[in-house]
Amino acid sequence: MEGGVFSEVRIVGWGGTDQSIVEELINKFVVPELADKGITAVYEPIVDDFQKNLINSLSAGTAGDLFYMDIFWAEYIIKAGQVEPLDNYLAKSEVLNKDDIIPSLLDAFTFEGKVYGIPKDFNSLALVYNKDLFDIAYIQYPNENDTWDDLENKLAKVVEAFDGEVTGLALAPEFARFGAFAYAAGWEPFVDGKTNLMDPAFKEAFNWYTGLKEKGLGVMPADIGQGWGGGALTTEKVAAALEGAWILGFLRDNAPNLKYGATLLPKNPGTGQPGNFIYTVAWGINANSKNKDAAFKVMEALTSPAAQQWILERGLAIPSRKALADNPYFEKDTPEAQANKIVFLGASAGNVKPFKFKEYGGKWMEPRNN
Amino acid sequence: MENRWSSLKEKTAPYVLLSPFLFGFIIFFSYAFIRSLYFSFTDYDLFSVPNWVGINNYINLFKERLFTTALKNSLTFAIIVTTLQTIFALLLAVAMNQKIKGIRFFRTAYYMPSVTSSIVITLIFMWMFQRRGVINYLLTLLRQHGLTIGVFLTLLTGIQLLLVVTEKIRGRPVEYLEPSYIVISIIFAFIVTYVLKDFGIIKLAEVKAVDIFWLNTREKVPSWAGPLAFPRPLGAIMILNIWTTVPTFMILYLAGLQGIPKVLYEAAEVDGAKGWQKFWYITIPQLKHITFLVVTLGLIGTLQMFDQVKIIGSQAPLESTITLAYYVYDSAFPGASAPKVGMASAAAVILALLTLTIVLIQKKFSGEGRDLRD
Repeated sequence: MEGGVFSEVRIVGWGGTDQSIVEELINKFVVPELADKGITAVYEPIVDDFQKNLINSLSAGTAGDLFYMDIFWAEYIIKAGQVEPLDNYLAKSEVLNKDDIIPSLLDAFTFEGKVYGIPKDFNSLALVYNKDLFDIAYIQYPNENDTWDDLENKLAKVVEAFDGEVTGLALAPEFARFGAFAYAAGWEPFVDGKTNLMDPAFKEAFNWYTGLKEKGLGVMPADIGQGWGGGALTTEKVAAALEGAWILGFLRDNAPNLKYGATLLPKNPGTGQPGNFIYTVAWGINANSKNKDAAFKVMEALTSPAAQQWILERGLAIPSRKALADNPYFEKDTPEAQANKIVFLGASAGNVKPFKFKEYGGKWMEPRNN
Repeated sequence: MENRWSSLKEKTAPYVLLSPFLFGFIIFFSYAFIRSLYFSFTDYDLFSVPNWVGINNYINLFKERLFTTALKNSLTFAIIVTTLQTIFALLLAVAMNQKIKGIRFFRTAYYMPSVTSSIVITLIFMWMFQRRGVINYLLTLLRQHGLTIGVFLTLLTGIQLLLVVTEKIRGRPVEYLEPSYIVISIIFAFIVTYVLKDFGIIKLAEVKAVDIFWLNTREKVPSWAGPLAFPRPLGAIMILNIWTTVPTFMILYLAGLQGIPKVLYEAAEVDGAKGWQKFWYITIPQLKHITFLVVTLGLIGTLQMFDQVKIIGSQAPLESTITLAYYVYDSAFPGASAPKVGMASAAAVILALLTLTIVLIQKKFSGEGRDLRD
């Protein structure tokens, strides 16, 4: 170790599969790169309520040096001055450049002209459908040219073919799904800092979304004993669900025999556009960390082209580097690769907005969820 | 000198013995309480320096609809659950106090809900409360077989009355619930109902499957109660909470029941007291201390109910299940926006004062407390 300097960077993130992923990333990319510089990294997973835990530890001064920042709540801790601006580090960096990252993702973590987080990956919603149900009913699969009405017709035919044994779409009663349709209809969440729920576009989307349920073409996952769309799909009682790439690992483990396909969300008949959310998580550096330089080095290694390539090829997430858009992985013929491609395309098709609501965070969504 | 020393020792001894407890009390309770009290007068958000805002937090709380909803939910919850769980606990204890073969098994079995983790039970109940869950299924069955059950019960009462009245006319002393007659009535009522059903005279009612939204709804029940109605998801939590707390209180009552001197009952029997008179004039007054304890613990527990709301989480709309304790948590960690520690602390102080007031009122009305040390 050079000059006996030894610094350990504490990385904090979610538990579950993230633990093994990040630990593998550390072993494969961080340790070989930084061992001779005297930097090591250790991952501290937070199994439950990551954001509450982070806020508490930031407040108490015990937070890690490098942490996950979900676009959904990042704005608040950035405004509270807890996240280190990265511009100076990026200027000096040889491996990490602002221009390497997909701009809409980077914008989501840029406030008042300063970059506070490097997006590690992203997700958007796709229409994931059960191929078998459509096959049995002799109905064409949903495709990217479908409008809302087309999709509704297809779902209605599937439901009819199964005499109501199967419903159409798993409808999570929350803004995180329904909002994509409001965006498709051309609704803006904030106009002059205010939210208008009486907007005709919002109403149109709302009526269509809730109308599916009234027509018997949709079901809330909770009503068939499932917590979310992915769980609902595994029951083979719904023809389709609206989920992101996070569903793929779940289906791999829980329904290995389910034949599924994915396509872009249907277009609004009026605007001719689909809508979507971008969900993204970035790496942020603790503004009060004593190890900021080392933390940045670790961040560089974690978001390096090699690391991101590895993540993509393992089908874990969709990386944030522009250069990976042409990756051969996306042309593979497996359902997972195809679904990942759809999620990748979803982030730039139609009216897409980041999944964040200014500093209001989740509070903004509550009245809308109901 | 020696005297003073020993009297000093005597005076300090209790404090020395208390010190382990006091240590924990001061650090984990007093310090936390005083800090909360201080924060409740500030706009603290965990990161910036707290600014003194006087009683603004308290005023703003009462302007906030979510808080008033939480307050109302908590009070409704506390009153209904405490009342019902006390009654059920007493009845169950009386039943468990009978000398029946195998009663120990039942005592253990009935105690199970209280020793099972509340988290696990809540998860199980969440399944049962689904729209296609067990509870709606049982309700559907009940409606389908309602007529059959009605006929059976009518026959049962009819036959029993007939038997008892005949005996009374003959001048024999007989109780209305004479066990041997009940057995006969049950057998006959069952046979008649079965025959009626077999001949198709009673049919299964054709009813639609019961489709009650237990969790994901803002509906208030009972619908005729107007402003006193409470959200149905809260009702679901009440059922769950009563079911899990009754056994604990049953144990307290059971201990109390076993402490009642038998001579009181014997004396009453000599004076010709009937079963319910013994219950009303001996059992209940003798259990007064226990009832005070049960109601107090019940009120404190229900006013601070948190875990079940937390676990049901997004399965039900927040407003339909929020209680004061959950409001405190939700304000301190509001998802993705700034923590409102000031507001949360103010709400916590109000919850503490409310609990104290209600317990004091209850103490005054039950006339308890004064003679507890006798």
